[in-house]
Order: sequence, then C-alpha cells, then structure tokens
Amino acid sequence: MAISRRAAPLDLGVALPGEEGRRSLGGHLRRWLPIAIGLVMAAAMILLAAAAPLIAPLSPSAQYADAVLKGPGAVERHLLGTDEFGRDVLSRIIWGARVSLQVGLASVIWGFLLGVPLGILAGTRGGIVETAIMRCADMLMAFPTLLLALIIVTALGGTLVNEIMAIGIALTPNFVRLARSLALTIREQDYIMAARALGSRQLRVMARHVFPNALYALVVVATLYIATAIRTEASLSFLGLGIPPPTPSWGNILSEGRQYIKCCPWITTFSGLAIMLAVLAFNLVGDALRDLLDPRLRGE
Amino acid sequence: MLQYVLRRLLVAVPMLLGAMSIVFFAMRILPGDPCVSMMGDQATREALADCTRNLGLQRPLAVQYADYLWRSARLDFGNSLRQGYPVSEYIARMFPHTLILVLSSAVVAALVGIPIGIVSALKRRSPLIDYPLRIIALLGLSMPVFWLGILLLIVFSLRLDLFPLIGGGDLEGALHMLRTGEAFVNPGDFLAAVGDVLHHLTLPALALGFTLAATISRLSRSAMLEVISQDYIRTARAKGQLERAVIYKHAFRNMMVPLLTIVGLFVAVALTGTVLTETVFTRPGLGKMLVDAIGARDYPLAQGAITVFTMTIIFVNLVVDMLYAVVDPRITYR
Repeated sequence: MAISRRAAPLDLGVALPGEEGRRSLGGHLRRWLPIAIGLVMAAAMILLAAAAPLIAPLSPSAQYADAVLKGPGAVERHLLGTDEFGRDVLSRIIWGARVSLQVGLASVIWGFLLGVPLGILAGTRGGIVETAIMRCADMLMAFPTLLLALIIVTALGGTLVNEIMAIGIALTPNFVRLARSLALTIREQDYIMAARALGSRQLRVMARHVFPNALYALVVVATLYIATAIRTEASLSFLGLGIPPPTPSWGNILSEGRQYIKCCPWITTFSGLAIMLAVLAFNLVGDALRDLLDPRLRGE
Repeated sequence: MLQYVLRRLLVAVPMLLGAMSIVFFAMRILPGDPCVSMMGDQATREALADCTRNLGLQRPLAVQYADYLWRSARLDFGNSLRQGYPVSEYIARMFPHTLILVLSSAVVAALVGIPIGIVSALKRRSPLIDYPLRIIALLGLSMPVFWLGILLLIVFSLRLDLFPLIGGGDLEGALHMLRTGEAFVNPGDFLAAVGDVLHHLTLPALALGFTLAATISRLSRSAMLEVISQDYIRTARAKGQLERAVIYKHAFRNMMVPLLTIVGLFVAVALTGTVLTETVFTRPGLGKMLVDAIGARDYPLAQGAITVFTMTIIFVNLVVDMLYAVVDPRITYR
C-alpha cells in the first residue's frame, strides 16, 4: 500500500516510428546488445533443460563410489567434480535447469492467467468490483513473494506442481496491479469509446480491445518475473522447502553442497553460478525490452 | 493531515486483518494433523488427544480464528510445540538479531547503492563509468543472497579465517548490560560484547547489503535522471551555480523523495532476505526461526513468525506513507 505504487504509475508508451532510422551504429549496439546477450543466454538455458538427457554427460543420480567429493577435473569424466554421493555435479546442474525453468516459466504463466483477467476487469469495470479485487491484491502484496510462496508451499507440500502454484499465486497481485493500471489508461482511448458506441459488450471490449493493447507491456514485465520466479524457486529449494532430493534442482544442489563448503566448494559455487546466470538472462531481456518501451528512458 | 493519517490507518487495519487471515487459514489447511506430525505415528491416543486439547484444535474453526486474532492483537501467539515456552518470548529474543541485520544491511546498501546510482546517472551513457556500474548492478540483482553469502564464507571465514562461520555473537549479553547499566560500570566488557556482535554481523550484513545495493543503485539512478531533467535544475544552472552545488543542493534532496517511498518495499525485500541470510550464516533471528519452525512442524512458532513479519511490513508501509506526506505536502491534498 505504499504511496509509491500510486504516485509512479508504470509508464509504458509505444515506440515512435521513424526514430530507428536516425540511430548510429553505437546506438543500435547499445539497444540490441543486452537483448541479444540475454536472449542467447535464455535460449541456451532452455535448450539445456529441454535436451538434458542428450547433453548431460552422465546420469544425474548415478553414484560413483570411486569418485566421492572429487574436485573439477580430478577424475576425467567429472568436469565440474562430484558431490558427497559421487554424483556428477555438471550432469546434476544440467538436469537442474529443467526444474528451474519449468517452475520459472509455468509459474509466470499461471500468475499471468490468474492476475491479468482480474486486473483488466478491475481497470475496465471500476466501482465495487475494482475495490474488491484491488483490496485482495493489496492483502497479498503485504507478503513478499518468497514469504507468500513459502507459506503456500508449506501448506501444500513441496512438489513441482505445488511450487509452480505457490510462486504463481505469489506473483498474481503484481499482474493484477499492472493489468489494472494499463486498463485504466486504455479505457480512456477513443477506440474503446468507439467500440462501446458500436454496441460491444463489456466482455468483448475487455477481451478484444483492452487485452490486446495491454499485452505487449504485460509480456515484457512477465519476462522480468521469470527471473523472480527462478530466484524464488532456488530460494525455496535452498531452504529445503522445494522439490525434495534426490531430484536435482539448483537450489537443493547448493543446499546439499553447503555442508561441504570447507573441502569441496565447487558444488555450491557452480550451482549458484547457474542460478545467477539464469536470473541474469531473463533480467537482461526484460530490462532491455522495458527500456525499449519506456519513452522516458529512450534516447534524448 | 489528520484526515489523511486516519484514512491510511483505516486502510491498514483491514489489510492486516486480511493478511493474518491468510496466515491462519494457510496453517489450518496443512495436510495432516499437527499433533500426529509432531509426535509421530507411535504416539498414544491419549497423548494425541492431550496435544489437540492443548492446541485448542478441537474447537470450531471460527472460534479458533477469533481466538487467534484476539491473541495476536496482544502479541500472544501461544506456546512453541517444541521448546514449550511462549512464542512471543522466543520472538522477542530473536527480533533484535534480525533488526540489526536489516539496519546494518540497509546502511551497506545505501552507502554502496546511492553513490553508484548518482554517479551512473550523472555520467549517463559513459562507456567507462555508467555501463560498468550498470552491469555490476545487474549482476548484484541476479545474484542470490545465499550464494553470495556462501562465497563470502568460503573466502573470508574458511580460507582467510577472518570472520566466524556461524552464530550471531553475544547480542543478548550486550543488551542485558545496557539494560542493567552494567555497560557503564564495565565499559570494557560491553565493548567486547559489541565487538563480538559486529564481528559476527559483518559478513551477513555485507551479503544482504550488496544484493540490496543493486536495487537501490538502479532506483537512485532513475530517480536522479528524473530530477536532473527538471526545470528547477536548469534554472539553478542558468543562475550560474557550480555544478557541485546544483547536484548536492538541488538534485540530491529531491532525489531522496522518490527513494523514501521505496523504503517500505525495501523493508519487505530485506526481511525476506534475512530468511535466507540467517539460514546461510546460521545466525539466530526471526527468519532462521521461521525456517526451523516450518522444518520442525512447530505451527504456533511458524504462525507467530509470519504474523510478526507481516505486521512489521504493514507497519513500516504505514509509517512511510505518513513520512511521505511530511516530505511532500501535496500528498495530503489529494
């Protein structure tokens, strides 16, 4: 309920045509390089997760008794070393990408599907519907994402589906707020009045006019929430509340490796690095897309 | 002004009520009987009945709910299932640890984040200053606090042996000495206790502070960019004021207004951060207590911790709203 949320409404404009042509090479580079890097990283992560059985050199659960807690490269077949059960850290990290990305993408889609219709309804309808929806969103907003996800996962139990549900619900109020603020601007546009004058019903106006016009901005922000979702999943797993071992997820690889940081820091170092790179990839893409959309931050 | 304050309070009360309802019902839909999960399958029927009665679980849900709200209003969260003593006592002991962690990491975040944000804004688009700083901020934003914590532990505790690996230091001793006045009788002992606390606090505060600094630097960068494009800055420059005076006298103060509004958000993020930071550094505190309580299925303790977290966040947001009205008088006239 901080005032900031109302004092600084999200300002998402539409790119002006004709500006592209006047840009120097440096300008283009500045604009597209972060997106390109982010996209390449994100695509690589998705490929890694999708093709884990093909890419991972060894099975993530195979235990090699002759190579317990060996450092990176100490045994030739274990490039990033092994953990306390002699499992290959690299293979576990590659398989762990599946959990992180599945949760990251699915929970954002879930939060989007729950939050956006409610937000558009609130913004377009106004009145008591808006008040009711927004007060509920405010209540959920009182909880930080991790805390809310933690409460829900504790209540439901730590499985992949529950984790997705929990993080999705925790992200929902953010989508409600954003969709409402976009709908508030869009409903004042002439084409909405025109649609109404032509006799379109409320539902049609929302689905055919408000939603498509808000979609671009919503998708951009959703990209940033993928980063939040991945970090939240890793945090839950780290706290031991996520997907239970032996299924590898970056958070629980890191959590298990914590006991061995004295002798074998590679387990935590590489799994943490994987989390950071994944979060960074989606942050880069989301940030750059938002800069492209926000006229205040675009070239002077 | 009074009307504004009252209106804010009126909004905060139902929010608190709603948030607490969420906590209550989330804890009630937990699968399984808390008594069974706590005492195990081998517990006798009498023992289970005893436990259910002690927790008041045999009463209707509505009665339990009303009871929870009424007790929470008096900061009475019942007794811990594991430790046996009152949850409020436990929370009171843990709260100072979390408070100093939040405050010290806020100091680190402000000292690192605000200057970086300002410099980055003033040297906007400079390839040697703005870009590297923004990349560092983005890395900080993407780095999970528990990973940074572990890296700091590996380097500074295990390799260099400069800081302790676990614990929170003798904070209770230091506070006790302050309360009893012993701190002034034996200043040497008191300073030793304070030193011990700071020694334990350094790495956690740095880890949490750095990850928060990333957010702060990005926010202060955009706040500064917004401010320096204002007319009064142009006026100040047109008057022939030194650039330094323009930045420090005109821009800096106005930049702090939007920054103030994110304090509420900051506290929420920092409190979440303490859950992870305290777990990594095995520090006593509310966050570690919450995680341990969930792990041990100690429901009153978990419920108490979450309630206190939520209360703190709503309270801080309320205070920020008030402060905002003080800083920017236009707010109250809306």
